[in-house]
Amino acid sequence: MTADRARALPRSREVGIDIAVIIPVSERCDDVHALYDAYRKALQSAGYSYEFTYVLDGYFPEVLEALEQLQARGEPLRVIKLARGFGEATALTAGFQNSSGDTILTLPAYYQVEPSEISKLLSAARDHDMAIGRRFPRTDSRLNRLQTRLFNWGLNTITGSSFHDLGCSARAFKRQITEDIPLYGDQHRFLPVLASRQGYRIKEIDVAQSPKDKFTRFYRPGVYPRRLLDALTVFFLVKFTKKPLRFFGLIGTATFAIGGFILLYMVAQRVFFDMALADRPALLLSSLLVVLGVQIFALGLLGELVIFTHAKDIKEYTIEEIIN
Amino acid sequence: MDLSIVVPLYNERGNVNPLYSGIVDAVAPLGIDYEILFIDDGSTDTTFANACALAAEDHRLRVIRFRRNCGQTAAMAAGIDHARGTIVLTMDGDLQNDPADIPEFLKKINEGYDIVVGWRYNRQDKLVTRKIPSRIANWLIGKVTGIPIKDNGCSLKAFRAKVIKAIPLYSEMHRFIPAMTSLAGARLIEIKVRHHARKHGVSKYGLSRIYKVLLDLLVTKTIVSFAARPLLWFSVLALPAVVTSIVALFISIYGPLATSSTFSVPIAGVGVLFGALTVILLLGGVLGELVYKTGDTRLDKLSFLTAERLQPRAKTQ
Repeated sequence: MTADRARALPRSREVGIDIAVIIPVSERCDDVHALYDAYRKALQSAGYSYEFTYVLDGYFPEVLEALEQLQARGEPLRVIKLARGFGEATALTAGFQNSSGDTILTLPAYYQVEPSEISKLLSAARDHDMAIGRRFPRTDSRLNRLQTRLFNWGLNTITGSSFHDLGCSARAFKRQITEDIPLYGDQHRFLPVLASRQGYRIKEIDVAQSPKDKFTRFYRPGVYPRRLLDALTVFFLVKFTKKPLRFFGLIGTATFAIGGFILLYMVAQRVFFDMALADRPALLLSSLLVVLGVQIFALGLLGELVIFTHAKDIKEYTIEEIIN
Repeated sequence: MDLSIVVPLYNERGNVNPLYSGIVDAVAPLGIDYEILFIDDGSTDTTFANACALAAEDHRLRVIRFRRNCGQTAAMAAGIDHARGTIVLTMDGDLQNDPADIPEFLKKINEGYDIVVGWRYNRQDKLVTRKIPSRIANWLIGKVTGIPIKDNGCSLKAFRAKVIKAIPLYSEMHRFIPAMTSLAGARLIEIKVRHHARKHGVSKYGLSRIYKVLLDLLVTKTIVSFAARPLLWFSVLALPAVVTSIVALFISIYGPLATSSTFSVPIAGVGVLFGALTVILLLGGVLGELVYKTGDTRLDKLSFLTAERLQPRAKTQ
């Protein structure tokens, strides 16, 4: 991660900040001034001290200009500009590292939730470790809702969690969580899943959807398989981090067994019923399965080796407190 | 500091106080500098509050609280990571181990052993669900690893701190610590310990863990014998593939030449497939060597930690 220009405020002004507001800016970005004012008003009326951090994930000259105007107005905000687009999780991480405040509030750079609703999140984050927004009731198109529902259903099924709206970027949580859970790629969506695995208490809060979030969204076709891969990665992180051979071994052994069974069957036919082996394509199939099975098993072994030799880096526990 | 006593606790509120006073009664007369580490593994009862009340009175008692239930191995690993003593002693939090045995363990470490393992020779548990499965498991672990320890499941163990801190502890590996360290050249001794029936609380074990133990045993055995020389191990895996490949290729070429039968595509295909498997396995072995060399858990390094390098062996008194 290279933040090539971090326009930071003087350190002295950070003292006593309650809430670090992190706003990652990527392709989808609405009117900066209006949204900033709406967010600021909501935070001010709730009586928090706050500091905004905008992270530009790529080259967005208009947004940068608008933010510079806000800074010139004397608003408490800092801008971090990444050298190129690294993905939202990386942008968020850059924001976490370059901000202060024990509570972190991430907000979308576009109209997704009603800004007045964020105080609900912040008050819930006091009693829980993390409060995540759920756009409810939904007012956007049926197709959007179907996409959301399918995505969350699929993810809940593979990870065994029960979240309704992981696509909602409005979340408030303790800074501790960002230190325990490193994020990369597109994993920011799954932060609640990973955090709840680590034992953090998470609360879903219904927030009103912004009326400007209504238009129907289609993503580029490449986005859908990427989401699926992300979900699989999280599944591995959650279930098999420390036991690769349990997983790979199972698949490998099954593949090997199927191939071996077909092979034995054909050898038996050759020996007892005198059916020629040489002209049977099934011979190729069974050998292919056997070879594949051994390869998968070998991959599992390599995985175990990686875990074994690096086990000191991966803690299996999270400590809440130490007395004495 | 001389001694760190690590005790994982999970819903043991009735046992915290008697356990603490038992340990203090056993260790205080020895006149050594010691600490007690209680690890609260995400208890849902008052275990943590009870332990904190004790810790407020005694600065030698440290309490570590987990955010959620992470399992016994993780609790032990946390205790070992935070231990400051030159000797680490682990024991169960359910009072089935007797703290009065602790001095005997220290004596053995001072005699020069790296690991002292307890053997519950008159075990006070249910026969069918606890003792018989455990006996089978111990026999199997002994056979597979070649280290005949009578009681791998006994938590009462003492380690030289530098040895145990170099051992990777994850999943349910705590059961195989003796086998792993022994293979790395540590000197190990097994001594008889007292064992009491449970007074407070309920047992957290059942028959369901047998499957996991078997799988972990397989992994441990494989890893321990394979970790230090992955290339060799993968070569052994590749041997049948090489043989199959050569035989199949020979048949497919020799057939048409000698007997003027037609060239068999499937058989030649089998030969090529297994040839490819051989190459991939060998490359995988090279990759394994790379992983091992860059990793920080090295069994060969570990063996230098033990004071004198003797042949690995297990003894029973």
